[in-house]
Amino acid sequence: MQTKKLFSLLLVMILSTLPGFAQDQIEMADLMRSNGKIYVVVAVAATVMLGLIIYLISIDRKVSSIEKKLKK
Amino acid sequence: MFNELWFLIQKEFRLEWRQKTMLTGMLIYVISTVFICYMTFKRIIDVPTWNALFWIIMVFAAINAVARSFMQESRGIQLYYYTMVHPAAVILSKIIYNAALLISVALIHLLFYSLFLGNEIQDMTMFLIGLLLGSTGLAATLTLVSAIASRASNSPSLMAILSFPILIPLLMTIIRFSRNAIDGIDWVMNASYVYVLLALIGMVVTLSYLLFPYLWKD
Amino acid sequence: MKNIWWKAVCIILLMYTVTMGFLGDVPAMAILNESIRNLYFHVTMWFAMMILLMVNLYNSIKYLGDPVLRTDEIAEESSRMAMVLGILGLLTGMVWAKYTWGAWWVNDVQLNGAAGTMLVYAAYFILRNSIEDEQKRGRIAAVYSIFAFAMMIVFIIILPRMGDSLHPGKGGNPGFSSYDLDHRLRLVFYPAVIGWTLLGVWIMNIRLRIRTINKSLES
Repeated sequence: MQTKKLFSLLLVMILSTLPGFAQDQIEMADLMRSNGKIYVVVAVAATVMLGLIIYLISIDRKVSSIEKKLKK
Repeated sequence: MFNELWFLIQKEFRLEWRQKTMLTGMLIYVISTVFICYMTFKRIIDVPTWNALFWIIMVFAAINAVARSFMQESRGIQLYYYTMVHPAAVILSKIIYNAALLISVALIHLLFYSLFLGNEIQDMTMFLIGLLLGSTGLAATLTLVSAIASRASNSPSLMAILSFPILIPLLMTIIRFSRNAIDGIDWVMNASYVYVLLALIGMVVTLSYLLFPYLWKD
Repeated sequence: MKNIWWKAVCIILLMYTVTMGFLGDVPAMAILNESIRNLYFHVTMWFAMMILLMVNLYNSIKYLGDPVLRTDEIAEESSRMAMVLGILGLLTGMVWAKYTWGAWWVNDVQLNGAAGTMLVYAAYFILRNSIEDEQKRGRIAAVYSIFAFAMMIVFIIILPRMGDSLHPGKGGNPGFSSYDLDHRLRLVFYPAVIGWTLLGVWIMNIRLRIRTINKSLES
């Protein structure tokens, strides 16, 4: 009887830790990474960034050319 | 410089005593606002509301009071001071005068406010210390802002625009401090707010002392 | 293009941020999940803003000592760029808050501090606009800006440490330091801060040059 009680207590204890195990698995975008789709996002973001930078460079050059014109 | 400071403070108080415009104006403003609040609320039992309303009325009274401190003087008088006294003496005397004015307004405000809207304060000494520090802080901050506003353009609306955002840190500290005083929270918990308030006042006075000379020269 | 090297650094760092910001390893954390990557895009906005406001402070102090009009122009343009970054920081922060704390705006000291800072600098621009004379405008604006900066420091650095905050490291929340120390995050975070700041300086630089052009056109 005593051992049976102890056994059931142990079982309850083990079971109560199970949700804890489940919580340790924090959901990250692993699927995206495993099937390579994350690279699509990176490509899009990098293109946007690059586009903005190129536009900024062109503005910079335009200002420079006006500055040169004014100096003459 | 201390002689100049003492002289200027005396001058401010004597002027006030002779005209009595500022103090009576402020009192009428505060009492009528409190009375309007009384007619709308009757009695305020909710502590955060009581506290917030108290300080909001106080801030508006302070802005109205201090805004005039540089505007009432004519260009001629200001030029005269410019040649006669140290600029730091001018700003310090105004800060001290405004602090005294606001403290007396705050005390009368508290009297009428608790008379009409009820008084829930559990730790009165702590609340009064908060009132003292808060009024001094308001006076110090607003005096410099009013100097800035009077240099820019003499519009009172500019004074309000410039002072509200700058007052937020001071107000947040003082509102939390006095709320703790109303709730009767122990000194151990509340002392840190006193340090912050003292540091704020010290900082504002030092900055006024350093920066005012630049506003002065024209 | 003048001074090409720091612009090149800016481009490299920003490209590094947008690629490594998505691809780099991040610690897995509950609630935050992948959104921890916002550290590189949202938190960096505030850092860049603060750096530009320090540029404003430096130039304001410098102007009081030696009133050269150019110094005042730099002060104005730096605070303008800081405002742009601040607005972006506020908007991105609202999006992030919605998905971690459940509301677009939460009553948080840090958040209110940020909003208060924006108000202070909005007042700064109104003050500037109300003064006609250039020398006088520079001086008075500098005085207000120094005063406002000091108050803002109290607002966003000292006050949040006193009350409860949802932000990490304050009010009993686990500090960023527990994962900020994580070298994986730092490896992208610091370059990102420098990159975004340089981008702000770049735009500021172009605006300053346009001002100079305008002035020489008028004269």
